[in-house]
Order: sequence, then structure tokens, then C-alpha cells
Amino acid sequence: MEHLVQSLILGLLIGGVYALMASGLTLVFGVMRIINVAHGALLIASAMITWYIWRATGIDPFLIAILMTFLMFGVGWLLYRTVISRIGAASVSMSVLLTFGLALTIEGLLNVFAGNKFRSATPSYFDQSFRLGGLIFPKTQVYGATVALVMLAALYFILSKTWTGRAIRATSQNPTSAALIGVSATGVAALAFAIGTATAGVGGSILSVLYPFFPASHYDWISRLLGIVVLGGMGSLPGAFVAALLLGLAETLTATYISLQWATLVFYMTILVVLLVRPQGLFGSQLREDVAA
Amino acid sequence: MISLVRALFSGRRALVVIFVGVLILYPVIRPYDIYQQTILLLAFLLAVQSVSWNIISGYAGYISLGHSAFLGLGAYTAAIIAMHTGVNPILLAPIGGLVAVLAALVLGSIVLRRRSHAFVIITIALLLSAQAIVTNWKSLTNGSDGITLALPSWSRDIQAIPFYYLFLLLMLITVVFSAQIRKRKFGTALLAIREDEGKAAAIGVNTSFTKIVAFCCSAFFIGMAGAVYAYFITFLNPIGMFNILGSVMIVLAALIGGRGTLWGPVVGAIVLQIAGEAANVYGGGSDTRVLLLGITLVLVVLFMPKGLLPTFEAWWLRRHQVTVEFTNQIGALGKGRLEFQNKLKLPTPGAEPVTLLDVRGVSKSFGGLTAVNNADLRVQAGSITGLIGPNGSGKTTLFNLITGVMPPDKGEIWFDGKRIDRLKPWERGHRGLGRTFQVTRLFNSMSVLENVVAPLPDAAWRTLLSSAVSGHEADRARHLLDYVGLASFADQSVGTLSYGQRKLVELAQVLMMEPRLILLDEPASGINPSLVEKLAGVIRDLNSQGVSFLIVEHNIPMVLKLCDPVIVFSRGSAIAEGKPDDIRRDPLVLDAYLGDEWKEAPAAHLRPVTELRNIRGV
Repeated sequence: MEHLVQSLILGLLIGGVYALMASGLTLVFGVMRIINVAHGALLIASAMITWYIWRATGIDPFLIAILMTFLMFGVGWLLYRTVISRIGAASVSMSVLLTFGLALTIEGLLNVFAGNKFRSATPSYFDQSFRLGGLIFPKTQVYGATVALVMLAALYFILSKTWTGRAIRATSQNPTSAALIGVSATGVAALAFAIGTATAGVGGSILSVLYPFFPASHYDWISRLLGIVVLGGMGSLPGAFVAALLLGLAETLTATYISLQWATLVFYMTILVVLLVRPQGLFGSQLREDVAA
Repeated sequence: MISLVRALFSGRRALVVIFVGVLILYPVIRPYDIYQQTILLLAFLLAVQSVSWNIISGYAGYISLGHSAFLGLGAYTAAIIAMHTGVNPILLAPIGGLVAVLAALVLGSIVLRRRSHAFVIITIALLLSAQAIVTNWKSLTNGSDGITLALPSWSRDIQAIPFYYLFLLLMLITVVFSAQIRKRKFGTALLAIREDEGKAAAIGVNTSFTKIVAFCCSAFFIGMAGAVYAYFITFLNPIGMFNILGSVMIVLAALIGGRGTLWGPVVGAIVLQIAGEAANVYGGGSDTRVLLLGITLVLVVLFMPKGLLPTFEAWWLRRHQVTVEFTNQIGALGKGRLEFQNKLKLPTPGAEPVTLLDVRGVSKSFGGLTAVNNADLRVQAGSITGLIGPNGSGKTTLFNLITGVMPPDKGEIWFDGKRIDRLKPWERGHRGLGRTFQVTRLFNSMSVLENVVAPLPDAAWRTLLSSAVSGHEADRARHLLDYVGLASFADQSVGTLSYGQRKLVELAQVLMMEPRLILLDEPASGINPSLVEKLAGVIRDLNSQGVSFLIVEHNIPMVLKLCDPVIVFSRGSAIAEGKPDDIRRDPLVLDAYLGDEWKEAPAAHLRPVTELRNIRGV
């Protein structure tokens, strides 16, 4: 029983981190209808930068997360202005190929500069745990989930309380009407992409502590995150949050009670089952264009 | 002009013959160039995959990023069977192909049933989950230790040559297969899906089925090639066989050569394989491989999205310009009557009127806005029914409900005695319901003729597989183009047409479906008065052959002259129905729609052009 409770809580902690990572992906899809395949690579890039800073200065990786938020926000904004905006949402298929190319480019750069080997940031407390009754919670997991939830709360605040955030959500719901009331589509898209990348920035810092990573790890991560986004409903932030918690639980339970190897398959199977049973996901409304055919 | 086109085409054929000839003769002339032969045979293998990928991702526009999974599936299938039975993997190639098709069928049936962004996600998941399953299912696949096969039985000195010819043969078969698809109505349907999936459904293309079949077609030859490849490399492991870089190469080859073209992927595969080899030798080896591929992909997408072949073709056409004589507008209706294939039953005069379309209490809301509110509407067989009403009164939404673009919230729609409101758009099309759109929706990358050939009047395989360039279907399309007066434009791109001409092409497209009822959404808007007259003539002519019409139109004089009865729509439901003369005098209608200005006009002399949109009637 204790075993189960522990697994459940660990699953939720991991789910919180997943939720943050997936929020940027689903936000970008919601606003631009672009599936940003490079999101996983941006995550690994941020983890790598965090690792180097931690290695050089000894600053706690979870504090470096603050720096990475702003750094990756800038990276995202630049990427949008210089690369992504050249395609626009006009051609969905080309935008997928473009972000796929970006993912490979980032992986290639990390390969060349950092080398193809596993890394993991190990702050002083990495092998310590909080104990509560008979339950054991690794400190890294608890801190990681806390940072993720704080960032998610900040994201929620920005999107619901600021004019910018409301413009982003308006564009996400109806780009044409948003443009009619004076929301600049490209400006909003650049911001959304930058915010999406910033979430990958924080997510990467957390990842650097919680999981060993190497340049090609991004395939594994992007498929997890896509699984979450599909389950939650593509473009839905609350959906991504709930789906992340569910999949965090499912993965932990599979790893505990079946086997670690099959745990990664949970995400792929989820994608299949969701598309079969409820293609619009948990929270996604069926788009008019989806109904059309 | 024709001789020039012929010269170009024969030139193209000559190019293909020379190209294939050189590839066939190369090992004969230089039998000991094992290194060069190996690079070329890998290029052929890549071409098999890229040409196949092009069927679903080039023709149909659904991008797959996990296509190399089919190679792995074919290879593992053949290797596992060969390991247990000792049969040569090459002989197992068809089984490898079938397993790949099976995987495509299962995934396609899940994700391609509707229009969705999720396809690309599922293809990535296919590749990575196949890798994970093969790694973990140790009893079957030997896990990450991999499978080692017996070496080929022939001498090492000529080791590459049999594979060279096998892969060359597979490549040529795949190209022929792809060419056959492109030539048939199946191929036209795929292009239609890529250009405008909603419109494709409206002209009778079963989009779900067509996409799933295309996905299966794009898997088969890769699976076969996988079996041969297994024998070629003799060692399979999960990381090598389900490598995402394999998929990147497939995508890149097609993009570089020209996505959606027949030979583009072949050209791209050869260029990419040779360039990749050069990069390996002169560049930094495999460390920089991912980086180079990534940068190349980004640059190609941004700066050469059309690819080499189409770019070259555009350059060639600029240098050898082809001029087309101006349309013969008088041609419309001048070429005799249109003969329908399946004779429509003309209603017997004096007999009890038969209801063809029956809309019963249908409603549709978008959020808080009720666009169609408990609407009832009937169209009698053999009639030209007019539907007028102010903008925003729900006419186009009603059209969308009738043709199945969206489901009604409430109510029933019956057509020809059968309930249709749950049917897919194409099923309604096959029953004889056709429509045009307020703003024309043509497939811009296709020629005028291809646009008219594209519709599928029924769900039969025979229709889907009939030729789109010659034979019965193409003849019908030419005849229809002749009928609407655009015959000399048949081989032009629709992009070169005027707005009025586009409307005529869309009408010809609908006629290709042999419809019993045609819904016309503002057919006269934006076209000049003489073309309006011609259009009215075409409608009358078709009607005299038994085609019924439901016409939404703001050109009131045209409606009052052409239609009987006329139905007036306001705020989501019909408020009046009657003969044109009665409608003209009905105070309720005048109040709701026609406005005070109209009363002053003498009824007998209709004003030539009256765009009532500008008159505030409500």
C-alpha cells in the first residue's frame, strides 16, 4: 500500500514537470497551428547549458532555471523572427519540416560542441530525500515539481491577467477576429513562440537534474510531450496539465509494477488509443476544420 | 504549339531512357567499382523509400517523419523468418512488404479517418515505438544484440552487383507504381486532398479511405526493399534499422528533388546519397552528419521549397513559352446538348410533384449565435428553386448542413426518399447532391482539365482506378469543359483563369458528378452581365434534362426570372415561399428583405443589375 501511495505521489511530481514542458508545445500549436518538433531539442539544449553553468560555477541548477527562462525566451523570439516567420502558418506541412530541421540542427550542434555522451547535474542534495512516515521523496523531484508549478502559475497569470496574454489566447481561439480587433498576428506569434521556448528553458534546467541526457535524447522527450498534448487536446493548456499528470502517473505505475523498459511505450500507446477513441483529446474542442472532412 | 509540347515530352522521355540506360549499363562497363556501385545501390534504396513517401506526403500532403520504420519492419520480418526457416530473405520481400502495409493500415485507420494534424505525430511515434518494441521483445528479435544473417552465397568480388540490380529494379517498379497512381483518378483525388480536403469531400472523394489506401501504397515497396536490405547488410539491430536519420534522408531526398513530382525523389535521392558520401569523406565524418542534415533541411524548406525538378521545369517553360488562344466565350452552349451518362428521370408533366430534398426542422448554432433556426425547406424534383434572404440569414450554413460540411444540431435532412443528415459529404455526393461555393474553391496546382476530372461520381474501385488523362473520364471532362466554353483552356493552370471562368470550371466539376440536385451558392456574384446570361442559359438547359437546382443568389432579377418557386430566408428559417410574382408583392418579404426601394421599381422591367446587399432591408 505504501508502495502504491509513493508511486502515485512520485507520478504526480513527474507529471507536474511534464505539464510545464508540454505547456509551451501546446501553446505554440494553439496560436500558430505549428507542431514544434524542435521543442524537445530546445529542452535538451537548455539542459546542456544549465549543466555547463552548474559545472563552472556550482550554482544550483534550479536557480539557473530563472536565467534560462529569460535566455530561452530570447532564443525563441530570435528563432521565430529569423526562421519560423519565413514560413508562417500558410503551409502546415512545411512548418513541420522546418521545426524538424531545427531539431536536427540543435542536436547536431550539441553533438559537435558537447559530445555524444550522457550527462546529469548532481547538486549536493541529489541523493537526499524527504521522509514522511514511511514514504520517501527524493529532494530533486520535489524541488523540480515546485519550480515547474511556480512557472506554470506564472504562465497562467500572464495568459489570463495581462493584455498580451489575452491577445495570445484570443489569437489561439480565433486568429481572424483577433486580427480584426487590432491584435498583430506576427507579434503575438513571436511572443507565443518565445514563451513556449522559455518553458522549454525552465523544463531543461529541471531535466538536467532529474534525468541523464545526451544530444539525441530529444526524440524521447518530444514523443512524450506530443503524447501529452494529444491526450490533453492539441492547443489546450488545461488539457496539457491534466494529461501530463495522468501520463506521469501511468508511466510511474508501469515502471513500478511492470518494467522500466515498457514505461516509455505508455506514451505511444496513449497517442494511439486517444486518436482512436477521442481524437480531439480530453479538453480539445473539435475544430470546424476537423469536422469538415 | 502542340509540336513544341510534344517535343518537350519526347525530350523528357528520351532523358528517362538515357538515365535508366546508363544506370543499367554501369556495372557492365565498370564491374569492379564496388565502392561506386554500393553508393549507387544505396541511392536506389533511398529512392524507393522517397518515391513511396511521396505518395502520401507529396501527392496527398500528409507529412510522415517516420517512414524509415517500414524499412525496419520489412527487414526484421524477412530476417526473423529467414532465421527460423533458412529461406533467402530476398524471396521473403513480398511478406516484408505486406507487414509494412499492415502497419500502415492499422495506423492509417486510426489517424487518417478524419482531417488531422496528428498524422505527423503518429508517424514519429511509429518509428520510436517500433524501435522500443524490437529492443524489448527479445525472444522474437534478439533485442539490442541484433540478428546476424548468413552472407550472400555469391562471390565477394561481384558482391554489390546483384544488389545493385535488385534495388534498381525495385526503384523502377516503385516509380512506375507512383506514375500509375498519379495518372489515375486516385492520384487526382490525392492531390485534391492536399489542396483542399473539404472541397475534395464535396466532389465525392472519400477522403478517409483514399488517404488510408495512399498510406498503405506508400509502405509496400519500402517493406520489400527492407527484406533485400536485410540480406545486403546481414546484421540488423534496433538502433540501426529504426533510425530517425533514415527518415530524415527520405524527406530530404524528396524535398531536394521536388515533392509531389514523379522523378523528383529519385533525383533527390541520388544527389543526397552522393553528397552525403562526399560529406562523410571530406567533412567531419558521422559526428557532423546530424548537423549537416538539419541545416540542409532548414535551408531547403526556406529557400528551395519546390525542389530541383520543378525549379528547372519553370526555367525551361520560361524559355520555351507556350501561348494559348483566348477563350472562345461563344463556345458555351454552342456545342450541342449535354448528354448525361445515367439518364435522369424527367418528371412527367402534370404528375404529382415529387420532393427531392426535404429539410425538416433543422437548427445549427455557433456558440450563442443561431445561424439556422428550425428551418423547413423542400425542393421538388425538376424545379429551379431560388433561395433569397439578407446576408447572415443562414443560407450558406444551410448549404453546409445539406452537403454535410457540418452536422445539424437538430432536425432531419432527406434526399430522394432517404435520410442523409448522418452521411459523409462524399456519400451525399454519390447520391446525386452537388454544390458550388460562394467563393470558388478550385485546386490551384492542377490544370483545368484535372480539376474537372477529379470528382468521383461513385464509390467504386473502378472509378477510382480509371485513368484521369485519357479514356472515358477524361473524355467526359473535356466534353463538360466544351459545354461551359472553356475547352481551349483544358491544359492551363486554373490560376490563369478569370473569376467568372473559375465559376464555370467549378460548375463543370459538379456536373462531372452527374448530380440530380445542384446547390449553387451565389453563382452570379462577381461576374459580368453577359456571363450571367450565359450561366442562366446553362442552368435552364441542364434543368430541361432533369437536373434540379437550389440557388442562393443576391441578383434578384436573375432569381425572379429563373427560379420557381422562390423561398425567402430570414433569421435562420424560411418566411415565405411562392411564385416569383407573388414573392415580389409579398409585404412580409418586402419588409424583411427587398426594402422600400424595390416597390418603386416597375415590376415588369427588372433593373439590369441590382446588388441588393447594399440595400438596408431589415
